[in-house]
Amino acid sequence: MAYASVVGVGMIPFGKHPDRTLVDLGSEAAYMALKDADLNPKNVEIGFFANGFAGRLFGDFTIGQNVFWNVGINSIPVVNVENACTSGSTAFYLAYNAVAAGQVELAFAVGAEKLYVPELGLLNSGQTELDTQLGRVAPASFALRAIRYMEEFDATPEQFAQVSVKNRRHSGLNPLSQFRDPITIEEVLGSPMVVDPLTRLMCCPNADGAAAVVVASPDIAQRQGRAVNIDAAILATGNYENPQDQLRWETDYRACGVAYEKAGIGPEDINMAECHDAFAICEILHYEAMGLCPTGEGARFAAKGETELGGRVPVNTSGGLLSRGHPVGATGLAQIYEIVTQLRHEAGKRQVERAKVGLAHCMGGDKEGDTKSCTVAIFSV
Amino acid sequence: MNSETTVDIQPIAPGIFTLPPYDKNPPVLLGGYCQKCDKRYFPRPKYCPGCLGLIEETTVGSTGTIYSYTVIRIKPPLGFPSPYSVVYVDLDESGLRVFCLFDPEAIDQLRIGLEVGLAVKPLGDNGQGEPRLRPYFTPRKLN
Repeated sequence: MAYASVVGVGMIPFGKHPDRTLVDLGSEAAYMALKDADLNPKNVEIGFFANGFAGRLFGDFTIGQNVFWNVGINSIPVVNVENACTSGSTAFYLAYNAVAAGQVELAFAVGAEKLYVPELGLLNSGQTELDTQLGRVAPASFALRAIRYMEEFDATPEQFAQVSVKNRRHSGLNPLSQFRDPITIEEVLGSPMVVDPLTRLMCCPNADGAAAVVVASPDIAQRQGRAVNIDAAILATGNYENPQDQLRWETDYRACGVAYEKAGIGPEDINMAECHDAFAICEILHYEAMGLCPTGEGARFAAKGETELGGRVPVNTSGGLLSRGHPVGATGLAQIYEIVTQLRHEAGKRQVERAKVGLAHCMGGDKEGDTKSCTVAIFSV
Repeated sequence: MNSETTVDIQPIAPGIFTLPPYDKNPPVLLGGYCQKCDKRYFPRPKYCPGCLGLIEETTVGSTGTIYSYTVIRIKPPLGFPSPYSVVYVDLDESGLRVFCLFDPEAIDQLRIGLEVGLAVKPLGDNGQGEPRLRPYFTPRKLN
């Protein structure tokens, strides 16, 4: 039996919300999750709020208390979480741990982000960090992997483009996703080059967005008709050894391996996954780390359609970061929203048949040619 | 001591590379060395991550081969030229794989396996428009 379950999820449409505040977006997602769970907010015993950039962009911080009080939650411990692109999934990890440890019966993870602001610029891993000062920007980290991947594994930009095309096709079936019009391989390859060999349509767009997940103990979950088991929720940090193999990414493989071990299953048991496709090459590397295909085969695996809806193991049925957009603090929770929706068989036209086990994978930040954080969670019904 | 071209221009960070003039000794990347673990690091950590022992300054290399590269073609940060390039270089001296800038004038020569050497010049700024000295790798002229 799982130590904890998801009993409620909420998510607002990702996109441009220029007239709404960050607190407003987060509060609505939180409200939706509480209504989905049909729970009294006064029963929530701990809250985690995820956000990446409000401090820098708006001068706002310690935002969680504002969001939770908007949905009637006060007095309890509230923790504000920042962990780069995994901020949302880290909030979920903490909520899971609080319940699994038996400290609380009901924990709440909410994430929100507003990135459509003129002053954003290119995301990096910290303005004063040496790599940033030496020209590292987020897309460059993955472009360096992509160039090496093409050389070592004989992959092509056309194969990378197929990831963008697939995720956009999925996105067309998801009303909460930002960009839903289909795109072709030619359009992906012909869009402006951002960082060689990644074109604009191989890079995730910004978004404003919010998502929320309610985690409950087995006692509460068994009274809920639509609970989804959490079989593992793990958070890993990079190893920072040198040299870092940019393709056989130890931290990524290790994070997935630990999650499988804790869940007591293997990659062959996964029916679907949401992974951190911040750039098309990322999804390919993560297929390999998740064990969905052998190392070096990810690009061909994508090109063969194995990860499309109807394929062997659909990945990013939500549209992924590539089409949904990447409101950093909300992304990890939006991935869990999708997995839970699929496992409840409530995903409508994008429903994965026979979905019983799903995996949510997220990654954040750069350090020493490695990542700062990687989260993996496995869910089942 | 300083050459006239760079006398007023500060390095982007202290202790990352040897400072000009380079007429006697070409620039070298600086890192940390732990005697007990016999291990070198770049950049130099505060303590040895292996044993928390004291770290001394050491050179980590000035030549190597390109492990991977990319060219940034969107509006560059920090006053870099457009386009500019970054690389991972496997250093001959220490075996460390380091992230660094690449010569913006030599982008057309970029390939994996290219042999490169370290150079230093004013490249980009400090974010407030003041120029800064930065290290970058450039194709090595092999005699």
